[in-house]
Amino acid sequence: MAKEVDRRTLLRGLTLCTLGLGGVFAFGDLLEILAFPSGQKIALAKTVIFTDKKLCSGCRICEMVCSNFNSNGRNSFFLARISVEKDYLKGDYRPKVCLQCADPPCLKACPVGALRVDHLKGTYARIVDEKACIGCQECVKACQQYFRPSRSKFDPQRKKAFKCHLCFGDPECVKFCPVGALRVERSERGFLVGYPVVQED
Amino acid sequence: MNPRGGWVGKILRVDLTTRKISETSTFDYVPNFLGGRGLGAKICWDEVPPEVRAFDPENRLVIATGPLQGTLAPTSGRLMVLGKSPQSSPVESFTRSGIGGHFSPELKWAGYDAIIIRGKASKPIYLWITDQKAQILDATHLWGLDTYRTQEMIWKLHGNKTRVMVIGKAGENLSRIACILTDSGDASGQGGFGGVMGSKNLKAIAVHGTRSVDVAKPKELMKITHDIQALFSRKSLKNNPYEPEEKGFKYNIWGGGYGRGSLSLLPGELLDLCNEPSSGYSQNPDGCFACPVSCRSHVKGPDITSGVAFCAQSYMYLESMIHEPEKGYSKITWQAAKLADLLGINAYELMAIIPWLSDCYRAKLITEEETGLPLREIGSWRFIFTLLHKIASREGFGDLLAEGGQRAALKLGGKAEKLSLMYYPRAGNFGGYREHWVYLGGFPTGYAVPPLALMWVLDNRDAMVSHSYISMLWGAAFAIGQDALTAVPEKIFPLLKPVMKAAYGSEEAAEFLGPDGKSLNWKWVAPVVKRYHEHSLLKDSYIVCDILFPYLFNANTSDHVGDLSLESRLYSAVTGMEMGLKEAYQKGERLCTLERALAVRDGRTRKDDILHDLYFEKEDAGGRKYLQQDLERSKSEYYGLMGWDVETGIPTGRTLKRLGLKEVAEDLGKRGFQRKEELR
Repeated sequence: MAKEVDRRTLLRGLTLCTLGLGGVFAFGDLLEILAFPSGQKIALAKTVIFTDKKLCSGCRICEMVCSNFNSNGRNSFFLARISVEKDYLKGDYRPKVCLQCADPPCLKACPVGALRVDHLKGTYARIVDEKACIGCQECVKACQQYFRPSRSKFDPQRKKAFKCHLCFGDPECVKFCPVGALRVERSERGFLVGYPVVQED
Repeated sequence: MNPRGGWVGKILRVDLTTRKISETSTFDYVPNFLGGRGLGAKICWDEVPPEVRAFDPENRLVIATGPLQGTLAPTSGRLMVLGKSPQSSPVESFTRSGIGGHFSPELKWAGYDAIIIRGKASKPIYLWITDQKAQILDATHLWGLDTYRTQEMIWKLHGNKTRVMVIGKAGENLSRIACILTDSGDASGQGGFGGVMGSKNLKAIAVHGTRSVDVAKPKELMKITHDIQALFSRKSLKNNPYEPEEKGFKYNIWGGGYGRGSLSLLPGELLDLCNEPSSGYSQNPDGCFACPVSCRSHVKGPDITSGVAFCAQSYMYLESMIHEPEKGYSKITWQAAKLADLLGINAYELMAIIPWLSDCYRAKLITEEETGLPLREIGSWRFIFTLLHKIASREGFGDLLAEGGQRAALKLGGKAEKLSLMYYPRAGNFGGYREHWVYLGGFPTGYAVPPLALMWVLDNRDAMVSHSYISMLWGAAFAIGQDALTAVPEKIFPLLKPVMKAAYGSEEAAEFLGPDGKSLNWKWVAPVVKRYHEHSLLKDSYIVCDILFPYLFNANTSDHVGDLSLESRLYSAVTGMEMGLKEAYQKGERLCTLERALAVRDGRTRKDDILHDLYFEKEDAGGRKYLQQDLERSKSEYYGLMGWDVETGIPTGRTLKRLGLKEVAEDLGKRGFQRKEELR
């Protein structure tokens, strides 16, 4: 059933993206794509977060609720898995979420296999297994090649990488966004999103 | 009980004269003085004696956050600026000024709860603070630049994640009405602390931090945050960010009569342009840090200065709407406010100065020739442009106006002074602040509400900054379809009763008119104002937003009863320290008394707590008047309730000791402010 991403699919994705349909979309009956030269496949994420920057008020509640929830009460933009890139004078606010890439550079870069797909919660999010993480920051560097700021971050205090894991399927940032600039999409077929379809959102 | 979160533990001290930078522990002051306004008052008590003048190097500029800043706690983007204020008139005295936006979390993440700045640099400098390090850097190249440009220059050097508090030309030239601005329009205006920064040769404070603020009970904080969001806001409609998704829901600010984005309230040329997608103009609700409401608008367009504006800035130049009525709120109205921001002038004070100038011109007290202002065309772009530039650079007549409207009027004297009285209600030695709801609905229309008069005479700034009480009255009026012009106060009493019962402990307090409708009922004024002061002090010390808190009035339920426990619940969740309402109010009382002691030390007594005669002469829309003897009686009652000396309005030694302010009692005693029998 699974098939590889061919050139045609990619082009279609890019076209849709430039049409501004949100940068996140699903089509076909894709479930996983070939990501490793070895032939190992990575399942597509079944849950993703949409953003609508037009609605964003720049309040940064998403950042705070994320770090508060996921970093055990340490509140800081630095520990947030979502970030709002803001031009304060121009009033241009862009919430940046992890796109749960179809072909995730972070996952492929991890030398110890600490990054994996969350089959357990059914979101198929790309998550960091903290027990396995050695804090080498390769995932941060890999993400940075395509996305800025890097969606994979490094906590110097705990010496571990962390990234968006969709709050086990029920993202707090989406629930707490007071204006509705964020929303969750779910698809059993999976989403062909992020790298390589979209590189910088 | 020790706090397990909230404060980050360090206060940064900077002496600009000696260039010495040091740190003290926040826990020398908290949790006793909470943070923000309480913390700043205590620091000023310890370090700014009455002899120090506002522009002396020895004056402190205290920038204080509270326990909630830098966390998820709703509306925690605020901080307080405190010190001896140059704007208080004619005597310079202690006051506070709040500022929203996104600066305060950054300061907490950089590892500081507050900054205390003293001394004066030998040349222009700015302060760069990051992750528990602070540096004094040269700002010669920034001196003279407008507030936007200065920030852009600093961002170039320190990255655009840096938040900056900056002064414009007005502050550099020691204007007493200069504001401190951050980002595109959040400002600490009242108090004139921009001038204090200027007097220290301090152009800007830039901060960026990558640390974190601990929250003691993260799950609890999320729950309260969720509750607060549910009370105040709903997600927007996709095609209209101003409309809530849920039909009929009212954004719960200003008693539900007001929603997201301040520009949507101001019909005219600019709003029309913003509503036309092809025009290139747009406006969007813009939130301060962690705010679920976003009451401000961020406005942009090809030939206007983009940025946020709220309240004072929005209403600063309404004369332009009289000048060109067909345009309504126009690009000029907007640009006037933005020019004030760029030059760093307090827009709120301009709302007194401009109409006062207009009055003086009509009374032929000032001429175009002697002022150099195009007074014939007040409301035009040429007028505001000339006026603001003259004020900011203290040129000609602008030099006088840069002293603030009340000081300028005193200097001109005679009829010009008399004309200024209606804009500056408080008589005595501690005025200097523009009228703000002395009468509900503005002066001299609207209706007289006795607590408003008492709040006004007692404050050390303009009262009603905390919208609490007034938002409740408006909310009740809106709920039965009244507005400022059609209001009949008796009709809102039934609605107010349960609300006042919950907020101020008395149903009867809602009836602020006598049974005949012709007289005012002063019976409950003192206890209501005492509670109002406690609410205000607490809100400014935890620090949450003036406009949302205290939450007295719910526009979305049938009984309209608010929830007074929200702030203390936030405090408990963040710090891990229990705070019941009773204990909170005691703390509020203590901080209020401390602020009073600060004013007393500057020379304030009962006789300064008074309005100009004019305010007792005018009738409100229903033919009612504030009577001086009523106000005096309420003052006595209030002093009595607070444990202040009824004759002098000075906190007694016994009260100060009861509130744990022994050092304050001793100092006041030493300075001869206490009665002899008290000293024994």
